[in-house]
Amino acid sequence: MSENQEKPKKRTRREFIQDLGIVGIGTLIGGSAIFAGVNYDKRKKAAERVKVLTAENEVMEVEKSELAKSAKPALENLTYLQQQGREGMAGKRFVMIIDLSKCRNARKCMAACNEAHHLRPEQHHINVLKMQDSANTPAYYMPKPCQHCDNPPCTAVCPVDATFKRQDGIVLIDNERCIGCRFCIAACPYSARVFNWAEPIHSLEDEGKVYNVELNVPQKKGTISKCLFSADRVREGKLPYCVSACPNGVYYFGDENEDAVTNGTTKETVRFRKLLEDNGGYTLMPELGTHPRVYYLPPKGKEYPFQEKDKEEARERLHNS
Amino acid sequence: MYNRNFKIVALAVVSVFFLQTFAQNNWNVPADKKAKNSYIKFDAASAGQGEAIYNKNCASCHGNPGKGNVQKTLNPIPPDLSSIGTQSLTDGELFYILSSGRGLMPNFKSMLSDEERWKVISYIRSFNKGYVQTLSKFDPNKAKLIKVSTNYDRKTAQVKVDVKVNEKSGIVALKNAEIGLFVTRYFGKLQIQKNQLTNADGQTVFDFPKDIPGDKTGTVELVVKLNDENYGEIESSTKLQLGVPTDKPALTDKRAIWGTLAKAPFWIILLYLAGVFAFGAVLLYLIFALNKIRKSGSNKPQ
Amino acid sequence: MTKQSKTDKITSDLLRPIRLNWSFKIWFGFLGLALLVCLGAYGLQLKNGLSVTGLGDYVSWGMYLSNFVFFVATSLIGMLISAVLGLSGQKWAAPLARIAEIIALAFAAVAGLVIVMDMGRPERLLNVFIHGRVQSPILWDVTVITIYMVISALFLYIPLIPDLKICSEKLDVPPFLKKIYKILSLNWEGTIEQKKMIQQSTRVIAIFIIPVALAIHTVTSWLFANTMRVGWDSTIFGPYFVTGAFVSGTAAVIIAMYVFRKNYKLEEYITEKLFDMIGKLMVLVSLIYLYFNLNEYMVPGFKMKEMEAILIRDLFSGNHAILFWSVQLLGLVVPIILLLFKKMRKPLPMLVIGFMVLLGAWFKRYIIVVPTMEHPFLPIQNVPQSWKIYTPTLIEILVTLAPMIMVLMIITILAKVIPIVSVSETLEHLESVEQAEGELKK
Repeated sequence: MSENQEKPKKRTRREFIQDLGIVGIGTLIGGSAIFAGVNYDKRKKAAERVKVLTAENEVMEVEKSELAKSAKPALENLTYLQQQGREGMAGKRFVMIIDLSKCRNARKCMAACNEAHHLRPEQHHINVLKMQDSANTPAYYMPKPCQHCDNPPCTAVCPVDATFKRQDGIVLIDNERCIGCRFCIAACPYSARVFNWAEPIHSLEDEGKVYNVELNVPQKKGTISKCLFSADRVREGKLPYCVSACPNGVYYFGDENEDAVTNGTTKETVRFRKLLEDNGGYTLMPELGTHPRVYYLPPKGKEYPFQEKDKEEARERLHNS
Repeated sequence: MYNRNFKIVALAVVSVFFLQTFAQNNWNVPADKKAKNSYIKFDAASAGQGEAIYNKNCASCHGNPGKGNVQKTLNPIPPDLSSIGTQSLTDGELFYILSSGRGLMPNFKSMLSDEERWKVISYIRSFNKGYVQTLSKFDPNKAKLIKVSTNYDRKTAQVKVDVKVNEKSGIVALKNAEIGLFVTRYFGKLQIQKNQLTNADGQTVFDFPKDIPGDKTGTVELVVKLNDENYGEIESSTKLQLGVPTDKPALTDKRAIWGTLAKAPFWIILLYLAGVFAFGAVLLYLIFALNKIRKSGSNKPQ
Repeated sequence: MTKQSKTDKITSDLLRPIRLNWSFKIWFGFLGLALLVCLGAYGLQLKNGLSVTGLGDYVSWGMYLSNFVFFVATSLIGMLISAVLGLSGQKWAAPLARIAEIIALAFAAVAGLVIVMDMGRPERLLNVFIHGRVQSPILWDVTVITIYMVISALFLYIPLIPDLKICSEKLDVPPFLKKIYKILSLNWEGTIEQKKMIQQSTRVIAIFIIPVALAIHTVTSWLFANTMRVGWDSTIFGPYFVTGAFVSGTAAVIIAMYVFRKNYKLEEYITEKLFDMIGKLMVLVSLIYLYFNLNEYMVPGFKMKEMEAILIRDLFSGNHAILFWSVQLLGLVVPIILLLFKKMRKPLPMLVIGFMVLLGAWFKRYIIVVPTMEHPFLPIQNVPQSWKIYTPTLIEILVTLAPMIMVLMIITILAKVIPIVSVSETLEHLESVEQAEGELKK
């Protein structure tokens, strides 16, 4: 017993140094093994990278394994879609003009949008509002999509980069990232955002579909959705869903850098700034400093009277102020 | 209820009346256009192709012929194209209406080619059992003989379009051909001035605005659309350096509060890190203090 | 009474509650059952999404967020009582330090859970750490609440070390518990060096916790003030929230004082004098908060800018008027007036007032969050009627109760394992008093 007690005491220092040495050498060997492994992986990766031509005619280097996935249809690769969706289109600055004098509350825009983005009937990426600003001013219909602000309050508050502005001005969301905190809803002064409070309406048929950031389909329970300026269509050179669906020529859509917007109904292309100048174009609530990319032309010379049945709803707010 | 139904019926009757008598007569189609005939045979094939074009461009307002699903919120209400009112028009009238448009009816000349427009009419005619087509002797292949050259004169800021025809008898200038000048934009073609007719030398000149944005080098794609009674229509495009060089930075270039983490302003990063480091320092101190308490106790003999 | 017997009495008095008894078991069992029911409600929410709540695309923050603000607010009291009063030499508050710290720690620890319960995708919580955006107030909030929690725990723990030693020696508990007390007491011997280290580190925490506590509630106020919404778009929201926090925290401490005093028979330690003093403190913090309230509602009420006018009318005479005036009058003005009378600063009236203030404080957060969300800049149209006026559902109320139950559980447990009034400090106090008396006699 006494031997046992003494033994460790005697051996302590020497053994400690020995142990230290073993641990040290072990660490060194292990470390170099890991290092070598990592380096091998890196080299392997480098060998397997290939160059491809993107849709914007730019050479991009991607991993071969990545290519195998994206080579068939690129539209089935989530990482590729997310990256493409986050970057946006170089050299573009998309704008929309909404001509209030032409809106007749046909709501084809809302229907087309809901269908394209798999939304419930009460979820509106674009909402045609019945407006009246003060007691004696006229009532008018005002389609209100996301304003795609250049100083977006929504992306400013997002804690996880789930909503972001792209180089072409479009504000998108990544519902694979969104944590559902709804701070962006609180921050948006235009009430442009909607939330998937319940299981999305098409969740059964959308099961297994690869998520496209630019279409925000499939929608996911517990995440945000909002107007995307139809980024998927725009990438193909087509006008957004709402713009093409309008029967009344309300919407113009185009590229500020090209100084041109195209009417969704007549397909006529006109100068962007001249259209604003000739018609007194304006933005919603400029005092907030959000710098919207959606412009409005005033409801001057409406060809269509404001419906009697909608008047009460338009005036509702005036009673309270 | 009865009253309301009656009103609706009355309104429908009145509007149908108006559509058939006034609206359609109102188009004032010139006589020569009215007599125009299609060089494309109206058969099942052309009607099928026409249907696809129709569904994309026309159905949103006119609905599907015979189905009564026209867009009723519009004023005037667009006619159902299988109706007698429409079918009683000549091919030439239909072609003119489709080409020129009016009010909310778009001008499809800029969106659809001659051939496509005739195919749409072929589709519309397929709803008329009694219709018999009179074919035009026009040969669309003749369009291939046309040669268009487009030049820009920087001094006068004018685009000169020169049209020649390579006939068997030799190269001749094409006069009185209708020319439209467009600039290609991302979503469509932006027309520069109105359509013009070529002069006796087969030439016409457009004043080109100096503020049309081009690409980084100022290059712009010009499109000339030509339409001639005898030779049909062609479209030719050239790239010229006559725009304003445009190279706007990406909107996400600058650091901003609304930017991604990688684009966060430095001051907010510094502020945040300062707070975290201050906490780290205090925490380290406290751990050190606790350790010291523990040690100073254990140093004492038990 | 000899000095030794006094010391023994204090020790045994303060350590007496640390044992398992039937009343504790019944109370804890009740809390556990209630928590199970509430967690069941949360399970439903996980399964069916937030659609089980009364929230919609317009009022997208409701009870959960009000609850979160309330929790953060109440947790601030640790800093007020222990740090501010401690540093400024207000010795009378010393016996309350531990109660305040326990409340602070419990509320801060659960606040994080409250916000997780509001998330549409709680399983993605880690995204905040993986993809955190430094510009977002939420990231700041997560950071400062974590920091506050750690610091509060240490603020509770470090002055507790001498007591833990006493616990390990004097308590009649199973050996393994004794061992835990002993390990946690870090070889406490009461040496001069150890005392010095404790004093120093307590001081460092007391100073550091002030900016951290200010930060947690200021950052929480930024969740609102950093938006453009009417009613939230205010530069005084930070101090407005902080002063409001002192009110609700003080109320929580008053309630806890009463309960512990009564249950643990600590009438000699949590004295009527203490109630009197904390009552005065309550008047002070409530008056400051009232001042901020005047500012917050009078300035927009004076200008009546379009959207703000709509909100103000809604609060003053519209849908929320009853709640608004109840909160302002019963939760703030009446308590101030009552507490001005000495008779009201007795334990039982204080308990009632404490409940009034605490309840008012909870609904005050509701009044800050919900009416603003009901009045966005653009009209609410083409959506279900239920989205225009917010009505919480039963499930939502149960889920809101869950964190409250958790807080009660944490406080109950902590008050069962550590002395609720510092033994060592009370002994020291006794010693210093006797020394002073001795010197006087000489």
